[in-house]
Amino acid sequence: MGKKLIGPIVTVLLGGAFVTVLGLLLHQSLSPAVAARVTAATPPSATEQHHVYVHLDTYPDSMAGEHGKDGGAEPDWVSYGPGTNINVPAHSLVTITISQYDGGEAITNPWFAKVHGTVGGTETVDGKPVTQIDPEAVGHTWTLHAAPTAQDPLFVSAPLPAVPDDAPIAAGSDYPKPIEVTFSFHTKGPGKYIWNCEFPCGDGYYAKFGGPMSTRGYMSGTFTVS
Amino acid sequence: MTTADIYKTDPSPVAPHGGIMRRLNVGTGIIAGIVLAVVANVLAKKLADGHTHEPDVRAVFTMFGWAVGFLLGMGAFTGPFRWLVGRDLTHADELFLAGKDQGVGRYFRFTTDHKVVGIQYLVLVMVMLGAGGSMAMLIRTDLISPNSGFLGPQTYNSLVGLHGLTMILATIIMVTGPFGNFVVPLMIGARDMAFPRLNALSFWLLVAMLPILYSAAFLGGIPMGWVGYTPIADQGPPGVDAYMMAILVFAVSTAVAGMNITTTIVTMRARGMTWTRTPIFVYGVLASVVLALPAFPFFMAAELLLFVDRVMGGGFYVPNRGGQPWLYQNLFWLMGHPEVYVILIPAVTALMELTAVFARKPLFSFRIAVLSIIAIVGLSATVWAHHMFASGWAPDLNGPFMLTTEMISIPTGGLFLVILGTIWRGRIWTAFPMMCTYAMLWNFIIGGITGIYLSDVPLDYQLHGSMFVTAHFHYTLMGAGLTGAMGALGYWFPKMTGRMLGNTPAFVSFWLVQIGFNVTFLGMFMVGLQGQPRRVVHYDASFHTGNTISTLGAYCIGIGMLVLLYDVISSWRHGDLAPMNPWGAKTLEWTVPNPIPLENFAVLPVVTEDAYGYGEEPVPESEPEPVPASAGAEADVPGAPA
Amino acid sequence: MSVETTPADRQGRSRSEELKTLTILWAIFTVLGVIFALIVPHHLMGPSASNTMTEVERTFTMFSVASAPVAAVVWALAVYSLMRWRRRGAWKEGDPDGPPLRGHGMTSGIWIFLSSALCLFLLIWGLAALSKVDSAAASGATPLEIDVTGQQWVWTFSYPSQGVESDQLVLPVNRPVVFKVTSDDVIHSFWLPEMGIKVDANPGVTTSTSTVPDRLGLYHVRCAELCGLLHADMETNARVVTSDDFDTWIAGQGGHA
Ligand SMILES: [Cu+2]
Ligand SMILES: [Cu+2]
Ligand SMILES: [Cu+2]
Repeated sequence: MGKKLIGPIVTVLLGGAFVTVLGLLLHQSLSPAVAARVTAATPPSATEQHHVYVHLDTYPDSMAGEHGKDGGAEPDWVSYGPGTNINVPAHSLVTITISQYDGGEAITNPWFAKVHGTVGGTETVDGKPVTQIDPEAVGHTWTLHAAPTAQDPLFVSAPLPAVPDDAPIAAGSDYPKPIEVTFSFHTKGPGKYIWNCEFPCGDGYYAKFGGPMSTRGYMSGTFTVS
Repeated sequence: MTTADIYKTDPSPVAPHGGIMRRLNVGTGIIAGIVLAVVANVLAKKLADGHTHEPDVRAVFTMFGWAVGFLLGMGAFTGPFRWLVGRDLTHADELFLAGKDQGVGRYFRFTTDHKVVGIQYLVLVMVMLGAGGSMAMLIRTDLISPNSGFLGPQTYNSLVGLHGLTMILATIIMVTGPFGNFVVPLMIGARDMAFPRLNALSFWLLVAMLPILYSAAFLGGIPMGWVGYTPIADQGPPGVDAYMMAILVFAVSTAVAGMNITTTIVTMRARGMTWTRTPIFVYGVLASVVLALPAFPFFMAAELLLFVDRVMGGGFYVPNRGGQPWLYQNLFWLMGHPEVYVILIPAVTALMELTAVFARKPLFSFRIAVLSIIAIVGLSATVWAHHMFASGWAPDLNGPFMLTTEMISIPTGGLFLVILGTIWRGRIWTAFPMMCTYAMLWNFIIGGITGIYLSDVPLDYQLHGSMFVTAHFHYTLMGAGLTGAMGALGYWFPKMTGRMLGNTPAFVSFWLVQIGFNVTFLGMFMVGLQGQPRRVVHYDASFHTGNTISTLGAYCIGIGMLVLLYDVISSWRHGDLAPMNPWGAKTLEWTVPNPIPLENFAVLPVVTEDAYGYGEEPVPESEPEPVPASAGAEADVPGAPA
Repeated sequence: MSVETTPADRQGRSRSEELKTLTILWAIFTVLGVIFALIVPHHLMGPSASNTMTEVERTFTMFSVASAPVAAVVWALAVYSLMRWRRRGAWKEGDPDGPPLRGHGMTSGIWIFLSSALCLFLLIWGLAALSKVDSAAASGATPLEIDVTGQQWVWTFSYPSQGVESDQLVLPVNRPVVFKVTSDDVIHSFWLPEMGIKVDANPGVTTSTSTVPDRLGLYHVRCAELCGLLHADMETNARVVTSDDFDTWIAGQGGHA
């Protein structure tokens, strides 16, 4: 009896091992999360413990940020940096500043040229508060929405104006001087969210949602509230 | 006139030394394939350097180079080439091609013997089921909890598509490939297929296809599922080129195989094997390939248009260039629905064949079986748009397509009648193949009924694109189709390998697979009704229970399948030697000895009655309890002559 | 080798007894099936939030009830055959065969007649339900028109008569609503699972679907067509509110009633 069982058991174990190896190869490994900087200042309000700051960049290529100096597998792809996975505490005021280095053009859905879901419904572009930007010159957007498993609905969308094509390269940099966009919003309870760019800036011969738009780690990422 | 007769009158028998063709095998095929792939890649780079479509041009050139090089290196074109240069193959060459006296090596060459091709297909199907099954395990592992984070969305979407396509391709060939090639010529009393070299070609095309298909994993994956809907296929990375090229190669293979099997069955049946004496499985295989012959060109056309879009910058499916995504959906489903029956009919008829044997009774109402198959073949060409009820295309046609779809349930019911009637008062031997018949009855009734829900337009508006659909078609393609193929494997294993399939492991595997299967897909029906969409990498917490149930069931299937794999391998190597006719069946394949000689029959058989004369031999007139059918109400098929 | 030795005959079981047992089995399976059909689907699909969904659940239950006796025939025969006619042990050369029953005109006739009748019933039911669904919004108050745009991987809703755009769907209760659905890029599928409506969002064309939400609450909008990387996340909320709350919301969004 024992002898008869060896064959089937070995087969099952080998099959299981094969699937496990395949699983380890394909398992998603998220790059390290972007640290949210917690200020030592007083809590923003009675109900919120923290005010945290996150700084992101958008590049016209992948030569900076999480893909490193060599740009990783796709050096030409537009990318967010320094990383695309963001962790923030629950019930907090989050202020995100994005240094936008990239050019752009007209957006397909002008609704995303407006600011949605931020404190006061505004963002500041190089210090000036605005509720929307020119839909003919959008670089990217940072659009946060709920994943099906998120606890509380959260929708934030901040458009990033395009850097003009003729802007000169800044001294000591590979890119022109960036446009600084800042906005704040309140997180609710813990949950997993996703964010992505809603300005079609990828490749592919159709709708420009291919390449960096459709690949993890370039124009989309996770946003974990814990 | 058989090929063997021709050989005897061959005027120029040449000694067997001749030519490079004797040195060709899989190894030379792979080398030539890689060489040509590299050459094509370099050429494409020169041709399309810097062009928007450069990655796609390079991808398709490389894949095309691989496929042609592999087949060249295999010696697939030796025959036509020798004919062109005026040195046609000699008798000795033909015998070499048929694999005479080559031992195991013949399985790794361009061997034309239908029995070798059948075994090759069987192994290929098992490899593909293994690959698709492994992907299913990963998918289900990811879905074990609402947000497991096991797979990233990109990996997940590609896996879902590759799992689907692998399984669809595997199930299309799983009965007509191994059993259609190995068993059908024996069953109809023929010495080989009508076109043995095309037979080998159809198999090696599939081998050439697999690396192309799986190269998708290294080319950015496929974002659009196995159906390959456009325009997302226009947007996808070069992985989509791999999808497209794999389909094109597969479609050529089915066309070649379909033409070959059709010709064989129509023209090479033994003397006296009239259509009323032809076994039902032969009808099933014929129906399957006859349905595939017109269906697959639609898929091929759909992918060719995508080829023009992606590689040459066309816009057949791109709306802002005047293209129309609905065109793709129509072309796709013109293949996609018939394909369901391409898979089902041979599997169900294989079960009919063995049910008669294991119930020791004639097939109940052979005429209804044949008419049902014909009706299904006819109707299945008219129902494709039931997959598009929710697409918004031609809402006025929803009613008519609902009509044709629901009409298919009538001949499908006929298939049930035939099997149930055959079981009725049989002397049922519940060996592993027969257990598969029972499992099929259980699964297919669930698959069939849930299909009726989906054919109802208002219900389809709710259920389309949900996990309910996924569960439904797994019940038909896996619960009925794959179960039928497993029954066929158990039934014909003794003839194909000369050894019996071990009973205990088969029994254990049967219960693991069938219970696991029902658990998996009942769980999936559950979350589908609750509102979970298909093909999602994570889901709302309210669907947790059903998904966890599904995942546990899937592991159970996986273990069961591995037990069956063990059984097949160990029985093949050292199982009990099989007698010539272990089941006491009456079809012709059981009249040849084990191992089967190269050209099957020393003397070609002459058929005088059909293969279902169970309980009829001695004195048919003196039956003590005349069955009502003989009262004259309906004499379905003239049985043994009175 | 004669038919006299079939197990059924050996036990002196007459045809009517055989049929009786079968009928009982069939009845048991049918009753179980009907009970299942009446409880489980409705329970899983949850409370309906629109007249369309009410119709969908009714049809689903009806079809399940109608299928129960059909499935029961197959299961009863299968179970009975295993109970009564199963051979103990393997087949051996010389064992008697079963009766040479090659067909039974009556049975086949009844079978085909019944399956055709059932098919016809389902068809008529389906066509009637379809016309009801199609005309759902044609009656009653002026329908509210909402333009739905799917894009990778968000939904946006615009209320043209109110001049409002939002990422959330807010619907007034008991007012017919017509969705005009399109896409900015690939094919999506606009699905309101609790309201039983779905239509693909195709680039370049507008499709439409309609319903009458009839239950206050928070529901879902999901995408039911694989649309790329974040397909699984392409969902948002649908809120059904009172008509006053709807007007308040519209005003809050800067629109006009
Ligand atoms: Cu972007
Ligand atoms: Cu179909
Ligand atoms: Cu979508």
